[in-house]
Amino acid sequence: MAGKAGKQSRPRKAEKDEEEQPLLQAVLVADSFNRRFFPISKDQPRALLPLANVSMIDYTLEFLTSTGVQETFVFCCWMSSKIKEHLQKSKWCRPTSPNVVHVITSDLYRSLGDVLRDVDAKALVRSDFLLVYGDVVSNIDVSQALQEHRQRRKMEKNISVMTMIFKESPPGHKTRCEDDDIIVAMDSKSKRILHYQRAQALKKLHFPMNIFHSGSDEFEIRFDLLDCHISICSPQVSIRLYETQNQILGNQIHMHVTKDGYGACVSNLLMYDTVSSDTIRRWVYPITPEANFADQEGQSCTHSRHNVYREPGVSLGHGSQMEENVLIGRNTMIGANCTISNTVIGANCVIGDNVTLDRAYIWNRVHIANDVKVKQSVICDNVEVKHGVVLNEQCVLAYNVVVGPDITLQEGTVLSMHHPDEEDDEDEDEFLSDDDVGHSKDKTKQKGSLFNPAEVGSEGKGYRWKTSSLDDTEEDELAECIWGLALNPDPESDSESEVSEGSHDLGSHPASPELDDVKVFQNEVHGTLQRGLDENISCDNLVLEINSLKYAYNISLKEVMQILIRVVLEFPFHQQGAQISTAQYSSHLLPLLKKWAPVFKNYVKRPQDQLDCLASMEEVFLERETHWAALVKVLMSMYQLEILEEEGIMSWFRQSTTTDKSQQLRRNQGLLKFIQWIEEAEESSEGDE
Amino acid sequence: MDGWWGCYNTVLIADKQQKKSRIHDPGEVSVWFRKCSSVQNQRFTETLVKMPGADKETDLSERIESFLSELKRCGSGAGSLRGSAETARETTALLRRITAQARWSNAGDLMEIIRKEGRRMTAAQPSETTVGNMVRRVLKIIREEYARSRGSTEEADQQESLHKLLTSGGSSEDNFRQHFAHLKANIIEAINELLTELEGTTDNISMQALEHIHSNEVIMTIGRSRTVEAFLKDAARKRKFHVMVAECAPFCQGHEMATSLSKEDIETTVIPDAAIFAVMSRVNKVIIGTQTVLANGGLRAVNGTHTLALAAKHHSTPLIVCAPMFKLSPQFPNEEDTFHKFVSPHEVLPFTEGEILSKVNAHCPLFDYVPPELITLFISNIGGNAPSYIYRLMSELYHPEDHEL
Repeated sequence: MAGKAGKQSRPRKAEKDEEEQPLLQAVLVADSFNRRFFPISKDQPRALLPLANVSMIDYTLEFLTSTGVQETFVFCCWMSSKIKEHLQKSKWCRPTSPNVVHVITSDLYRSLGDVLRDVDAKALVRSDFLLVYGDVVSNIDVSQALQEHRQRRKMEKNISVMTMIFKESPPGHKTRCEDDDIIVAMDSKSKRILHYQRAQALKKLHFPMNIFHSGSDEFEIRFDLLDCHISICSPQVSIRLYETQNQILGNQIHMHVTKDGYGACVSNLLMYDTVSSDTIRRWVYPITPEANFADQEGQSCTHSRHNVYREPGVSLGHGSQMEENVLIGRNTMIGANCTISNTVIGANCVIGDNVTLDRAYIWNRVHIANDVKVKQSVICDNVEVKHGVVLNEQCVLAYNVVVGPDITLQEGTVLSMHHPDEEDDEDEDEFLSDDDVGHSKDKTKQKGSLFNPAEVGSEGKGYRWKTSSLDDTEEDELAECIWGLALNPDPESDSESEVSEGSHDLGSHPASPELDDVKVFQNEVHGTLQRGLDENISCDNLVLEINSLKYAYNISLKEVMQILIRVVLEFPFHQQGAQISTAQYSSHLLPLLKKWAPVFKNYVKRPQDQLDCLASMEEVFLERETHWAALVKVLMSMYQLEILEEEGIMSWFRQSTTTDKSQQLRRNQGLLKFIQWIEEAEESSEGDE
Repeated sequence: MDGWWGCYNTVLIADKQQKKSRIHDPGEVSVWFRKCSSVQNQRFTETLVKMPGADKETDLSERIESFLSELKRCGSGAGSLRGSAETARETTALLRRITAQARWSNAGDLMEIIRKEGRRMTAAQPSETTVGNMVRRVLKIIREEYARSRGSTEEADQQESLHKLLTSGGSSEDNFRQHFAHLKANIIEAINELLTELEGTTDNISMQALEHIHSNEVIMTIGRSRTVEAFLKDAARKRKFHVMVAECAPFCQGHEMATSLSKEDIETTVIPDAAIFAVMSRVNKVIIGTQTVLANGGLRAVNGTHTLALAAKHHSTPLIVCAPMFKLSPQFPNEEDTFHKFVSPHEVLPFTEGEILSKVNAHCPLFDYVPPELITLFISNIGGNAPSYIYRLMSELYHPEDHEL
């Protein structure tokens, strides 16, 4: 009853809001910044993949429009031209559309941070906006969350930067794949998120103590939430992102938990499977297949009992049965004696006799011959499956593949027309436009004709898709990536799949970033500083850049500082070669330290930071025994620049060290003198008081 | 019980006679409406004439588009967010706008335009039959106005013999090509009359309440119908009676109904749906609303109504359906795919249930079909009718050619 009343009052409320508030805007990120869906997303951007025969981005736009968004900015990067073309043809770009869609493309976006920075730079949003990914399927009514968000902002100006929307779904729920398991600690009164962490099937979880000292006396730690990847952000969010993470986590992210409605993000194929079946089972009502909300010609289908949907022109052979939860696209022909259940079939497919399909997702123009069995698999456009093929669970046949005849594909097989070796070639330019893909296709053709009949059958075409190495374990990992963690949920590989997620969500505590990321980050920081030096960029901008890199690679604050120190200290070696003398080294380094002092000051604030900073300096110098003399000069100048304070240096010096080498370092003549000098200075200042 | 039946039948017959006399003179009804709305009409036509001509077309299509999307989205719970009366009014107002602003030179063009938009509107929400009904009403108005402009009597058109229908074929359609200067104004005026009729439907129905509800009766109803609500409240101003409200799970609109009734000092009891049969023996009359009245006199009504109707039949309790004329649809109950409406199973099996969701299929249908033999009487804004009379009303309201849009 209460729910009903809420629903009824909703439109009125929304209208009122619109009168009071400026128009509601949304930022839709039509790129996932990861390669989860490879090799499928090699040919088609993820946002355009069909889910129940409608592109995913259409679901997202429909969701935004129905919540009253009037202006949407679609940011795309990977294959942006395809997305643009799709949107221009869709109903969203018609002049009568209540939601004005702007497409913004750039090949330079590498993370959500880049997009938000661009939003800020172009001054696109004027007030609170919705931030969603291009693969969100939802019918959640965000108006209540929006109101809460606005109220919070009114009460405490600019304190709340973001409200994330969560859906209640207990563990074991099918829309929860293990990748997305999260643990959230929240303040139950203010609904503020204190801690957000991916659970990743970890046995032990750590919560920083300080979150429980934040003044509130009621906390909730929840494991029954599903991140819908929908957030309401303030225009300041992009600016705030550059400030320290603690602040973001501590003060500024709130949450809204909804029980009604449906919201999920298609982050891997397992989720694709679940969300498709939920759509067909009408959980996302009123976004249902027969509603034809994308308003495409000839897509209207009929809905009959047991959730069987048929678009016009479907023909069904004698004795064929559509058992339940079936959606069949227009002009698809199905032969005799087929059994179809929990399946989506696209348009213009031809399916032979005696075919069994269960949880199959068959896209457009697929030919399936007689006596084929398919279980929980995805078959992309223009695939041909020949006579007698059996696809076991979690197979993927990417675009244009031919399989068979008479072959059984093992669980988790991924076949693609892209040769796995291309992977390496394309590694650097993965975000380039379609031309490159076309180019690589040509390459495939050149290499072609060498299909392995054991993999694709005697008449088959396609390669078994693998990650760069041919290792067996790596293959498993790939299947995990594309299907989520269903295949082998062992905790070790979990963190790896998290890396593939990249900066999937804001403000998440990274469990521990992989070494690769740290390396890449270090190189990036080095590049940034180099550029800063060459182009004389101001320190403030450098800080901004480093911070955005930090989000791009999901690096914690402490690590940022360590890496920064390392990069700066090694800077002269990079510039002048590793063989320079100590004197040359310090003469190069000291001006740099002076120049970048504000950068350091930004990161070194608390006493603990100083210790960390000193520890990483020590680490660097331990590697280069010959330059120990320079350490004193570095410490001296850092001290003079007020980056380090005497207490910090003293406590570092007095730390009991374990290795001989670091003890040796501490016994260095110059250092001892310096310490003595500091001690005296301290005493004298104390004496003054 | 017997005595009651007798009294009831007389009412029924009286109603029928009244009805017949009125129906035989279709002019009378419209004249009456014209009288009460003439002032309003003038204002409507004036504003419409003065509309700036510049971006009329885009403005119109924008309006249609927003109406369509609203239709598509309405009804995330049971029924619709708005009452169907409101939908009917909005549809008619939109059709009036189309008539006024779209480009057409003769009645044939206009009918084509309206048919096209009508098809889109009905496709947007097939379960909301009111929209289609209003489109048919407007088409009928155009036909009548065209015939009047041509000078032929409506009566002749109405009573076309089988022979005439067979021989003339689509010739009447060709005749719609003739151009008349005043046609537009006439049609708009007639649509305005229709709008005024729509405004008054609920009042017209609740006016008849005292004829049906007597003192100290026990009335049963199910779910929430705005028409029934007004009907009972109207009766409560003069009489004391007791209302049992079946809660109508899973959306439990019955709770709202009960709250609303009890605010008007009506003695109200909410019962679960399972208790309908048990309580029925005490009930004197069942009064329900409906979503649609089908062409065979059956109902498409909120879930649980069939149970209620069967229980009423078993106890020989009269079942009265309050349904304004705009709910009368030329649809038959065999059109399976548009008949049903399934919403999110969330109410049946909450999404938070967890693991079980992947193992079961949950369905949440909204409507029941109630066959005409279970219904005693329809009360519409133009009086009471038996289900067997519905076919006749259907031919009064809609032109046979418009049944399929």
